[in-house]
Order: sequence, then structure tokens, then C-alpha cells
Amino acid sequence: MLPKPLNGLNPLNPMQPAAALEPPATPEMLTIVGVRHHSPACAKLVREAIDRLQPAHVLIEGPADVNPRLGEFLLGHELPIAVFTSARRGLTSQASWSPFCDYSPEWIALREGTRSGAQVRFIDLPAWHPAFATMANRYADAERRYTQAVDGLCRTLGTDNSDTLWDHLAEIDAGDIPAAELSARLNTYFDLIRSAVDGIGEPASGSAAEPSAEPTTETTTEPTTDEVREAYMARWIAAALRDTPDRPVLVVCGGFHRPALLRRVAAFSYREMEDAYWPEIPAPEPDVTAVSYLVPYSFRRLDAFVGYQSGMPSPAYYQRLWELGPRGAASALTGEVVDRLRARNQPVSTADLIAARVTGEGLASVRGHRHPARADLLDGLVSALVGEALDRPLPWTGRGGLTVGTHPAVVEMVAALSGDRTGRLHPDTPLPPLVHDAEAELERHGLDQPQTATLDLTAHVRRDASRLLHRLRVLRVPGYERLSGPDPSVEDSTFTEQWRIAVDPDRLAALIEAGGHGPTVELAARAVLGERVLTGGGLDSAARALFDAVLCGIEDLSGQVLSGLAAAVAADGDVEALGTVLTAVLGLWRHDRLLAAEQSATLGAVVVAAVDRLLWLLELVQTGGGPAPAEPRRIAAVRAVRDAIRYAAAKLGLDAVRATAVMARIAGNAAAPPDLRGAAFGFGWSLGTPPPDAERTIRAAGGAAVLGDWLSGLFALAREQCLEEGPGEEPSQGPDQGPEQLSALAVVDALVAAMTDHDLLVALPALRQAFGYFPPRERETIAGRIARRHGFDDSGRALLRDRIEDPLALARGRELDSHVQAVLEREGLLW
Amino acid sequence: MSESTDWSGTTDRSGTTDTTDRFGTLDRVSTSEILTSAAKRVQRPAAEVRYADELARLRAADDGERPPGWALSLRAARRFILGDDAAGISRKFVGDPSLIDRALVSLATSRGLMLVGEPGTAKSLLSELLAAAVSGDSTLTIQGGAATTEDQIKYSWNYALLVAEGPSNRSLVPAPLLRGMAEGRVVRFEEITRCPLEVQDCLLSPLSDRVLAVPELSGADALVFAREGFNVIATANTRDRGVNEMSAALKRRFNFETVFPIPDFETELGLVEQEATHLLQGSGIALPPNRDVLEVLVTAFRELRDGRTERGDAMERLSSVMSTAEAVSVAHAVGLRGWFLRGDAGSASDIVECLAGTAAKDNAEDLARLRTYLEQHVGRRKGAQWQEFYGARHLLPG
Repeated sequence: MLPKPLNGLNPLNPMQPAAALEPPATPEMLTIVGVRHHSPACAKLVREAIDRLQPAHVLIEGPADVNPRLGEFLLGHELPIAVFTSARRGLTSQASWSPFCDYSPEWIALREGTRSGAQVRFIDLPAWHPAFATMANRYADAERRYTQAVDGLCRTLGTDNSDTLWDHLAEIDAGDIPAAELSARLNTYFDLIRSAVDGIGEPASGSAAEPSAEPTTETTTEPTTDEVREAYMARWIAAALRDTPDRPVLVVCGGFHRPALLRRVAAFSYREMEDAYWPEIPAPEPDVTAVSYLVPYSFRRLDAFVGYQSGMPSPAYYQRLWELGPRGAASALTGEVVDRLRARNQPVSTADLIAARVTGEGLASVRGHRHPARADLLDGLVSALVGEALDRPLPWTGRGGLTVGTHPAVVEMVAALSGDRTGRLHPDTPLPPLVHDAEAELERHGLDQPQTATLDLTAHVRRDASRLLHRLRVLRVPGYERLSGPDPSVEDSTFTEQWRIAVDPDRLAALIEAGGHGPTVELAARAVLGERVLTGGGLDSAARALFDAVLCGIEDLSGQVLSGLAAAVAADGDVEALGTVLTAVLGLWRHDRLLAAEQSATLGAVVVAAVDRLLWLLELVQTGGGPAPAEPRRIAAVRAVRDAIRYAAAKLGLDAVRATAVMARIAGNAAAPPDLRGAAFGFGWSLGTPPPDAERTIRAAGGAAVLGDWLSGLFALAREQCLEEGPGEEPSQGPDQGPEQLSALAVVDALVAAMTDHDLLVALPALRQAFGYFPPRERETIAGRIARRHGFDDSGRALLRDRIEDPLALARGRELDSHVQAVLEREGLLW
Repeated sequence: MSESTDWSGTTDRSGTTDTTDRFGTLDRVSTSEILTSAAKRVQRPAAEVRYADELARLRAADDGERPPGWALSLRAARRFILGDDAAGISRKFVGDPSLIDRALVSLATSRGLMLVGEPGTAKSLLSELLAAAVSGDSTLTIQGGAATTEDQIKYSWNYALLVAEGPSNRSLVPAPLLRGMAEGRVVRFEEITRCPLEVQDCLLSPLSDRVLAVPELSGADALVFAREGFNVIATANTRDRGVNEMSAALKRRFNFETVFPIPDFETELGLVEQEATHLLQGSGIALPPNRDVLEVLVTAFRELRDGRTERGDAMERLSSVMSTAEAVSVAHAVGLRGWFLRGDAGSASDIVECLAGTAAKDNAEDLARLRTYLEQHVGRRKGAQWQEFYGARHLLPG
């Protein structure tokens, strides 16, 4: 049974017959194999072309800047591997990968081309070039960026998406039809997509119709990134053709580029061909450092279902397709899925397997496939094995990847197809200096073997080891997990740290990629932290980066980072979060010896910025003057500012006078929330500026609904000052009260005593919260003093513990009493 | 809508004629007669009547192999549902082509097909189309419900004849399942999970052993064996009572296919426009719906269904069903309001009033969510229709 694709393709192309796309004058020595990256079918085509042509040059779409190091590729690695490129400009860096696996057409071209004695070269722009600015994976499918064109084709051929379409067109038939037929079919496919895309973007056939003219559209419109790359690749092709005019030249590039490259090469004039020398490799701008290294890659990263911007999905399936052919791959896949499900205690009966097999074959025949394709198998397995409604569409029918909520059996199926193979580099492969630095440092600290290490941070040597591990953690090198240890963002008293060091297959790749940030672990960690501070989302992540810097022992972050950090602090509008950060940073700056962060300039800069910002923000907090519940975190922010002024003003040059003035304004601002007013009032008092008339201020604080919240603020900041006894009571031991003043507590007592029963009920919850700022012992003192004021000769303890079970119930009872009294009086029943 | 005057003439349903002697003489004639004579006046003719012409052409051109008892080959059936522009076959179901493939292959195997999904995802339409394609007849339908009994599924008796003559083939009144088995046709079981479990389980032996016992009759008549071509398409929605209510034994005998809401905005918009235009024509309104208004409508439906705006902001999703079918009915109502109240094509403010009744129903929480949506998300959008939509938010009741 012959599949229908080609018959289906032709009516698709009403606007442009396929023949017209062929440029009129393709040099006869030139063969371009247009491929889909990571396609086994295309790899076969490439191998066949090299065997048949024995070309003098094999030109491959790949980063031209690694041409001098092509030998590294053929050392004998276990694939998949990738060329990793990092371009660093100042503190920001950009990473990209060009992955290869056993069945990549580019890999086959490289390997077989070298074996046949051809000159092999990469001919695309380097990965750091602006044309790749938005691409993390060089071998992502170009046509994916033009989904509209592909969607139309999918609809016409009745497939769900471009991946099933591709299986339908290429992979299933690859072993059964002659290479020439397959390659004609694929060229038609790519030509169609390209012409549809060009049709959308610009008048397409203009340059093809007039072969003498250079594509003139470039002068009028900005060339697309594809056009920039194609122009560059075309120059390499021209140079190769000129170099060996009478020997074949084979080009292996993305099928999407093939029509454009043919057009461009055909458009070169005779003179241009005569002058075509090997193009120079562009150099990065002076302030950009670009490095490229081979890294081990993994199937997981190759898989479109997991990553974004990749090419073919399901690498494990295609690996088997490459090795075993479609039938072998199908049975291996089924076996793998069944094993995985059974390992998870999911019942898979023989009847289910038969049903899956029958359904898969049935689907293959409905869809016109000789052998069951990837989606046929998966569809059959799902039909037979999943006996309930799905919450999410099947991942292989859509374009997106796995989403949360996908059926667990489906997840296992996708995982089975994805595989867990990881590449391994040959030991002789050059590695970036950071890898050697990391290995040496780990060995020096005895951390190079898997272990659980307990580090005593009070010993200098162990602290250095801890810093090394933290730096690796910050660089996201897997295998270094911190189990416990001190947390700089909260106060705690741990002096030891526990780490688990494990073997991880991705470790080497991560180390090599970290090498893009700097030549040593310390420098790379510093760069990464700096980048995190600068690019991170707001204060929260900046603060986390800062604490990481403390843990890594990276003291002197650059001035640029410091100003970035200050900017993050200054841009934040969240009083509570800022207060939390300031408290933590100030604590570190004042006390920390363990992590050697005491008096650090970095932390100091944050303290200064945070105090500035908080003073500004706090004055803006306004609720219009009515009652508003006290917010402990807001009060804590005021207290953090107070502590900063009290302990760090001199060393950091904080302006205490300004802070006091701001707080005095807040205290007097009727529109500010009560807790903030109270805190602001306590701010000056606690810094030793005794208020001229504390009594009047407290009396003016507000009515029953506000008093408790106001006192919360006051007690939080000026607890000690409030406890001082005024002369109105007993002879005092307190140092210097004005003779005419009552103590704060006496004023509060008088206010409460004057409240009606209803007012008391309203005020009580907030009052209780406010007195929560006193520790129990002080509460006892207060209780005793109040009892004495009212003539009870009682200890405060009894008052606190025994008398009142539930003050609120008591107040409610009193209110009821007085209500009854009022009613009785109103009705004249009481006299 | 295709003409169907020559339904009985064009359908050469080979393989079914010889079964009519047993039960079907009466209803076979009546079904097709009713369908033919009244097709024009019927509110909604069955799929095989609506698309009689396409079915006939597909059958004539069908060179694929047909599974035994099928009216069409698998590929022709696929083309019937997914459409084929070149052959003039319309696209009748919007969704993944692979779903149709799997459904058809399931029907060709010995398992039943269970279509599950949110309400309003066109499960019933799909089951009707599949039955029409496979058997040429989608009328053997059991509507599941709390009061469905085995009588309505298998068979019952003409009690006058039963008393007069005793149990016999003459006094037996076959229900859809019995007829489907005897005639080798596809039986549709709508909303199967709305039936009590015990009633559902009467499908067990017909699906596994492919035989139905009629214990009242004796001899060869006591067992009805399913002919080739018999199978069951059941539908169930995931909102009311999940498929968890089904017994495991019955679940095993079905292949499950989940039908999802239309993922793509343009496709859904196109479908709503097409269906609304059609409904409005049926209501005697010549004016097509306003595309801009429909865009607002479909966007709002999708956002309220997914709980996420186009920009990606999270928001509260409605608990009511916000399916494409509901969108079509709101679009229809909007068109009716516009035409009969003002003589125009309907505006975005009409959507608000229709939404309150269609989408929020009497659910106070949904009404509040709808109001929040209008106030927080709609107000920010550009465009005259969006602003009008926003401006009409006070029309929500309450």
C-alpha cells in the first residue's frame, strides 16, 4: 500500500508549481541535502549522498568559528554531545547549544565526510552572532517559527501537527523507498513551506525570476536573521565551488534554508564566483568574550516535550528507529512502556497489549503507513491502557509539551520515548579552565568523592570548603545538596553545615557551561550572582542573591552590582518586605562572624538604600485617619529603621536628624494609620529624644477604636520608655522624668478607666495585642503597678493568672449589664 | 443542507435487508419514511439525512477495504467527518484528526467506544457522525438518564399480544440494543453515566460475548447473536458524574477517548460564526452576526473557561459550562435581540444580558465572578466592542 503524501502535496501548491522553485542555474557540482535536524531519515540521505558523490567538500550548517577545532569532534565521544557557546558582555552572558546525536544528519556528515577524505567545514555564523540572539538551540526547527504555513499542510494531510506530519512523510518510509524518491519528496515539502513563508514575508519569486539580480529586497527591508545567515552560508558554498570546480560539493543544511541557498548561489555572477574566497569568520565585538566548548548532552534536553526550542521530539524512539528500523523500534518502545508502567504497579494485561498492538496497526493502516509510526503506537497504547477521561490533551497531538495534570500513564509513555541517555566526552577533550579549577579545589578540600560532609563553620578551612560548595550550588552544578546549615536571612545559632555530595550525570556538562561565566569557580559565581542581582525580579530575588553572596563568601561585589542592588531596593514599594530584608541585613552587618559578613561594605550599602527607601515609603502610607488594624510587619519595618539609625548611623553615614524629623511628621499626621503613628512617636522617644508632652500625645492618639493599634506601634518601639514610672505614682528610681508628668502607663490606665463598657469591648482586642509586645515578666510588673494604683495590695501575678479567665467575656458581660441598666432607666423602671 | 428525497433509493445498505424479517419490518419502513417525507419540516434531521448526498458520493468512490458490516471503509469514514475539500465533503467536526482515527479503529475492534469530555464539546455530534458513517444510520439511540430501565435498552413487550399469544417474536418490542445486534449496526448510548450502575451493566454480555439472551423465548430465538458491524458508542460528560461511577468490568470493555474544547481561537471563532449564522438563518434573520462582536464573545468565553486571560493573567474560572455550544447559543441570542429589538446585528452590550442567563444561570458566585471579570479585565481592553462590553456591565442582574 503506497502512502498518499505526494499525491496530497501537489494540489496544495496552486500558487507555485514546484518546478518553478528550482533555480535556473544550479551549479552542477553542487548538491544541497536539505534536512530536518535530528532526523534519522535525513541522516540516511546524507550518508547515501556522501557514498555516492565522494565530494571534495562537505559543508555543514554549524558554527564556523569551531572549524579549527573539528578534530575534537572525532575523538570518540559517546553521543549526544553539543557545542556550548557562551558570550559574555560585562555582567550578562548568553548561552546557546548546537546538539548532535548519533542520528543527526550533521553528525553523519561530519563523520562520514571526514572518513571519505572530504574537506569538512561548518559554514554558519558563530552562535554569539546577533542573528542567534533569541535562539538557545541552533538546531531548533526553523519552520516552527512559521507555524501558519505548516498548519495548512497538516490540515490538508489530516495530521495533528508537524511532528506527525514529518513521520508520515519521511521517517516511516525511509527504509523502504529509494533515496532519490525520499529526497525529492522532502525537497517538495521544504520548498512548499519556504515559498509559503516567503509569500507571507515578501514577494518570493522576484529574485528567482531574475537570476542576475542580487535579492534586492534586502536593501529596502531589514534582512531577517534567516537571510543574514543564508547570505553568509552562500559565500562558503561559492568559495568551495571555486576551490574545486570539477569535484562535487555537498552541503548539509536545514531544509528550510535549501531553496534560499540554491537561489543565492545561482544568483552569483561569474565574476563573483571568480572572487569567492573562504569567508572570514566574524569576530565578536571587543567587549564581548565568547567561548565554545563541547559538552555532554542528554536526550532529556533534546526532547521537544521537555525543553522548548528543540527539534525532533522523542530522541530515544528515533535512536531505536536509526538502529533497528521501524518494526524494531515499535516493539522496543512497547516493551519499554509496559516495563515502566509495571514498575509503577500499574496493571498491564496481555489482553491490553493485544488491543494496543491491534489498534496501533489499525491506525497505521488508516493513516496510510507501511509500519506503525510513533503516534500510531502511542495512540494505540493510550486507547488500550487508559480507561478513564483525560484531564489534558495527549502531548503528541498538540504543539506544546507536557503540562501539569497529564495522565500518569501518558507521562510514562512520553518518558519512555524520551529516554535517559546522557553523552560522555572522550577524556582528551579540552575543557574550560573552570572545570580544572573546580576539580582541584574539590580535591584539596577532600570533597571529590560522594559523601555526606559535615562542616564546622567556625574552623577556617571548613568554612572555605563550605564556600566552595555554595559557589557550585550557585552555579547550578548538580550533585551538591545542602541538607542543613545557617540561614543568613533569619537569626539562628547553627554553626555546622551538612552537605550531600553525589554523582550526577549532568555534572560535567554543568561545569563546562559554568565555565562561560568565568575562569575560576569564584569568579564565575561572582558573575552569576551579579547577574542575578541585576536582572532578578525585584527585591526578593536580589535579597536572595545577596544572602547567597554571603554564603559564598563573595565579599566585594563590584560597584555596578552594588548600585544595581541599591536600585532594586529603591524600586521596591513593599514596606513589609523591605523591613524584613533590612532586619536580616542589619543583623548580619552587626553581628555575623560565622560567615565573615560583619561590617561588610556590600551589606552596608543595602542598609543605607533600605533606610532611605523606607523613610520615603513610610511617610506615604496613609489610610485616611480612621481605625485600621495594626500590622506587625509594618511596625517591624519602623523598628528596623530605628535599629539601623541606632547602631549604624555613625559608620554608614545615615542621617539621624532627617529620620527623626520624618518620624515626627508621621506621628503628627492624622491621615496615617494608628499603628504607624504610634510607632513613629515611639521612634523619637526610643532614640533618646524625650517627647515634650507624652501625656497629651497619648490622650490625643484616638478613641477606643484606635487606641490599641496606636499603642501597638508605641510599645513595639519604646517599650522600655513606657515602663518608666512617673512621679505621680510611687517615688521613682527612674533617672529623669519631668516632675509634672504621669507615666505612659498611668495615662493609658486613666483612659481605659474612663471608657464606657461598650467602648471597652471595642478597644479590648487591640489593647491585648498591644500589650503582647511586653514579655511576661514586664506584664507582671505592669499588672502589679496598675493593681496598686487602684488600691489593691495584690501581686500582679495573681491579677494576670487567676482573676480573669477571658477578659473579652468579662467585657461583654459588663456591656450587657450596662445595656440592661440603660433599658431599665429608659423605661422608668429604676429609680 | 442536502436534499434527502431519494434516501431509500440511494442507500444500498447491503447486509441489512435480510435482518428485517425478524424484528424490523415495521420500524425500518417507518424510520426512513418519516425521515424522507418530513426532512424539510424536521427541526434537526439525523446526520445521515443531512449529509445523504455526501455519504452517497463517498460510498460510490470508496475503494478501501470495509470492515465487515460497515457501510464505508475506515478512510472514507474519516473523510466524511474531517472533510475533504477536493471531493466536496464538508468538515463536520473540529478537533484533532488523530482523535477520529482512534475512534474509528476502536469501533472496528471488539471494544466499544466511550467518548468523554466536558459538556458541550460535541461528543454527541461526533457519536452521531460516527454512527452515520459506519452504519449509515444514527437513530439507534439510547438516551441515558436516572429513569432509564433495561426495557428501554434491550427489549420490552407488546402486552396485548403477550397476553393473547404468549411470548413470541411478534409480541417482542425490540429496543435499540437488540436491534443493533440483530442488524449489525452501531448503537449510541448517550450520557451513559447518568444511568444507574445496574442498568449500565446490562451492556456487559452484549459487549464481551456479543450475545443477548431473551429468556422468555425458547429455542433459537432465545439468544440473539450480534452480527458483524454491531458496536456501541457511549458518551459521558466529566462534569455531572464522572466515569468513576462505571463498574470496572464495563470500563474494560470500552476504549476511552477524551474530547477536549477547541484549543485554537481562530478555529473556535470560525465555528461559532458558522453555526450562529446558520441558526440565525433558521430564525428568519438575514443579517449575519457581527464578526467583531463574535470575537469579543468567543474571547470572553475562552477566558472564563480557562481561568486565564489572553495576556496570561490568572483569574477566576466559572463553574458553569462555558463550551463552544454555549457560545453559539449566546451568539444566536445576541443576533435575535439585535434584529427583533433594534433591527441590527446585535452588539457587545447584548452579550452581557445573554451571558447572565446562559452562563451564570442562577449561580450567585458565577455572577460575581462574571462581574469581576467585566470590571477588572474587560475595562482595560482597547477597541470599541470591548469598551461597549465593559460599558454594559451594569446590565448584569443583582
